[in-house]
Amino acid sequence: MRRLGPAAPEVTIEFEGKPLPAREGEPAACALLVAGETVFSRSIKYHRPRGPFCMAASCSNCLVRIDGVPNRFACQTPVRQGMRIERQNAYPSVKVDVFSSIDWLFPKGMDHHSMFAGVPVAEKVMATVARHLAGLGLLPDAAPPPARPAELLRVDVAVVGAGPAGLAATEVLATAGKPPLVLEQEDRVGGRDALDAPEDGRDGPARIPAGAQLRLGTSVLGLYDDELGRVLLAVQRDPEGARVLLVQARDTLFAIGGHASTLPFENNDIPGVFSGRAVADLLRRRRLLVGDAPIVVGHGPQLLPLAALLRAEGAAPRLVLHTGEGGQPPGTVQGTPSRAHGRTWVHGLSYRVAPGGERRVDCDAVALTLPPSPAFELLRQAGVKIAFRPELGTFTPDVDSDGRTSIAGIWAAGDLVRPGTASAAVEAGRRAARGMLQR
Amino acid sequence: MSKSVLCTCEDVTVDDVRHAIDKGHRDIESIKRYTGFGTGFCQGKTCLSAVARTLAERTGAPAGAVLPFTPRPPLHPVEMSLLGSVPVDESVPPKGGVPPVIQLGSHALRPAEPVPARTRVVIVGGGIMGLALAHNLAKLGCTEVVVLERGYLCAGASGRNGGGVRMQWGTGINVELARRSIELMKQFAGETGINVWLRQGGYLFLARTEAVAERLRASAELHNKHGVKTQILSPGEGRDVVPELTMKGVVLCAYNPDDGVIFPWPFLWGYAQSAQRRGVRVETFTTVTGFDLSGGRVQAVETDRGRIACEMVVIAGGAWSPEVAKLAGVQLPNAPHRHEILSTEPLKPFLTPLVTVLDSGLYFSQSMRGEIVGGMGDPLEPAGMNMGSTLRFLSRFSRALTEQIPRLGEIKVLRQWAGPYDVTPDNNPVLGRTPGLPNMLQMSGFVGHGFMMAPAVAERMAAWMLHDAQDELFTRFDLQRFRTGKLERETMIIG
Repeated sequence: MRRLGPAAPEVTIEFEGKPLPAREGEPAACALLVAGETVFSRSIKYHRPRGPFCMAASCSNCLVRIDGVPNRFACQTPVRQGMRIERQNAYPSVKVDVFSSIDWLFPKGMDHHSMFAGVPVAEKVMATVARHLAGLGLLPDAAPPPARPAELLRVDVAVVGAGPAGLAATEVLATAGKPPLVLEQEDRVGGRDALDAPEDGRDGPARIPAGAQLRLGTSVLGLYDDELGRVLLAVQRDPEGARVLLVQARDTLFAIGGHASTLPFENNDIPGVFSGRAVADLLRRRRLLVGDAPIVVGHGPQLLPLAALLRAEGAAPRLVLHTGEGGQPPGTVQGTPSRAHGRTWVHGLSYRVAPGGERRVDCDAVALTLPPSPAFELLRQAGVKIAFRPELGTFTPDVDSDGRTSIAGIWAAGDLVRPGTASAAVEAGRRAARGMLQR
Repeated sequence: MSKSVLCTCEDVTVDDVRHAIDKGHRDIESIKRYTGFGTGFCQGKTCLSAVARTLAERTGAPAGAVLPFTPRPPLHPVEMSLLGSVPVDESVPPKGGVPPVIQLGSHALRPAEPVPARTRVVIVGGGIMGLALAHNLAKLGCTEVVVLERGYLCAGASGRNGGGVRMQWGTGINVELARRSIELMKQFAGETGINVWLRQGGYLFLARTEAVAERLRASAELHNKHGVKTQILSPGEGRDVVPELTMKGVVLCAYNPDDGVIFPWPFLWGYAQSAQRRGVRVETFTTVTGFDLSGGRVQAVETDRGRIACEMVVIAGGAWSPEVAKLAGVQLPNAPHRHEILSTEPLKPFLTPLVTVLDSGLYFSQSMRGEIVGGMGDPLEPAGMNMGSTLRFLSRFSRALTEQIPRLGEIKVLRQWAGPYDVTPDNNPVLGRTPGLPNMLQMSGFVGHGFMMAPAVAERMAAWMLHDAQDELFTRFDLQRFRTGKLERETMIIG
């Protein structure tokens, strides 16, 4: 992990009681990785090493204790001068963790339901041990300051997610004189156009059109239907702190894409294995290169652009492993990852090729780029039907080609509906906006 | 050691998921509960699709039978202090909730083969009551039993409760039942081969008014008579038990160190497996559609998988019992009431007892996994079947909890859900025979505490059914009492 080019002013943070240089405002995870701290904490059951994977608050691999508060996402918490970061769930230290022996005792997994069941003394001992090993962080040091008052917003149209689909929809709505409220989780608009590797024919993120009201740093957490009517629960986080937003909209377009997915292979959870989005985001937004000799694994529209982006930034990918079915893209090897090598950081990958045969390639990072798993949760909560698509290997919501769902006032577009290219997401966003205007 | 990890939050491996599938957990809700995948910090964001693919590959299940687990709000972990800032209008009753549809009785998961044509006992409801009864009947040699469950095991209130077990009750009969239940829970793993993780950390009741304090004093006296070691504590002494409590507004505490919490899901699997090993059939994703009544008796139970002729039928559907009984023209006095509950991020153990404020219905404990699990009744909650989750609950609960432990304001809620209390007019169960239908037996109406009563009640019910024992439980709490008006009220209901 190394820095490319200049960054924000340097500050000093405290990690496990020791001073560490960091760049103001970057996520705490970046500061730790650059300092060579690869293991942030130990995992909950087997005490396996954990370091950042998704950099998008969609997994739990980067949780640490920050300023006396347990289980904070290091990938989401901006560095400030004097910030205190501590590891979790490791005894006596993260390097020598006695409980990592559990990982060796249960090589494949464990069925805690039947373990020692009914064996008089063993059962009692196990219950006591389990109780003390459970949980991640310790209680917070202190109570938080009183929360800022919640804000209630009533709008005609809310667009959730300012990626290609959301921005395209916003553009159409604004042009028609109906600019929406746009809620974006990140600190900038653009979604994959800003954070992922640039795809063919895309020249960066679209702008937010005039008239649209934009809330950055705002995650939508729930879609409730209660005394207030249908209401979105959102939390906006900015340097002054966090506050709750309650949004009531006649129409809501969900364009929130998906979550980073995983592939099952041995040691797929060790530090140094990142989601493709994380690798691209670290490069583009944070100017950090995860490795000089990485391996790119996966399939979908990001596989080749990510390899190209890494090359353009001076890395030499050791292997681009295509795991998808159908046409094998040029310059890739067709295969399935079988095992990542390394303990506290990945240093190699074994993979199977047809017909039979396993190869191993050394590396200093792995980028796992797969089509995202649609983030259908909020749509499901609204009552939209969700179905498993074996050909995609994910669940998708039931949405028509104009972004309409079976629930009045609930629309969806982009990767959330069907993982694809950024250009396809733009088209879907536009169609959904036109549909909303016709209503 | 090399592991292929699907769920990194809870360290669930590919082998764990395959093992659960091979043990018969063939739907994602059940795999989630058995392995714990998707119950951690990310709530399945990274792993749900991968588990679905594993299920489809392993079982060859058609796409229509691979359903996601119900996504619980919130989408991302959120601090209680923030949730408490959501304004609530406490003058109007709660309304609605998400998700609006619970996928019970899904046709996609219904087994293709017919149910047995004939059996001795049909138990309607595969919750804790029905399964505990099946286990006890089988133990006494009656293995011709079919348990019918509309969803997966744990779909109903038995899979939705906080797992509290306590002897602190307001009537002697409930104290005795709970005490026996706890004894049986201690033997459970030995008997069934499944751990239920009983942890006797005690129950600490807090009273904020003199009226409630008086109830606690009176019931403590009753407990002591029954040999239960409940102590009345001052707020200061209560803080010796849980130092983090502010005791704000608290006038008195009652504490019994032998109460505790268990983990609800394995309790159901343990009873089901033990019954099945002895020959009982447990049929999930099977819905009762009617009863064949002739000659003043139940002749058969009709289901969406065929008809089962039987000698006896037991209605053990919890809060769903009234709608089942109605199919036989029987009116039950029970009414469902939604109760909401939530679970937080896992913390290292700090909280020993389950703490409850009897005045407000707030309760919370720390599970064996480290999460704070808690709920709170809503005084304006209308009767009716509703398992939706509300923002109002998140806000009310967060405020009430952080009033007692302010530091938990920084703690993040991972998920919320709801389940129905099965409420009766006197807060006591409906047990025994049905007037006019002697071979239809009732086993419901436990007002949110059926889980802890089930082991003892089922033990007595099986003996009563098979040996026609003279057990007063089944006359004292039968349906007749609502006609004759001989009601005794249980006052130690939380929520």
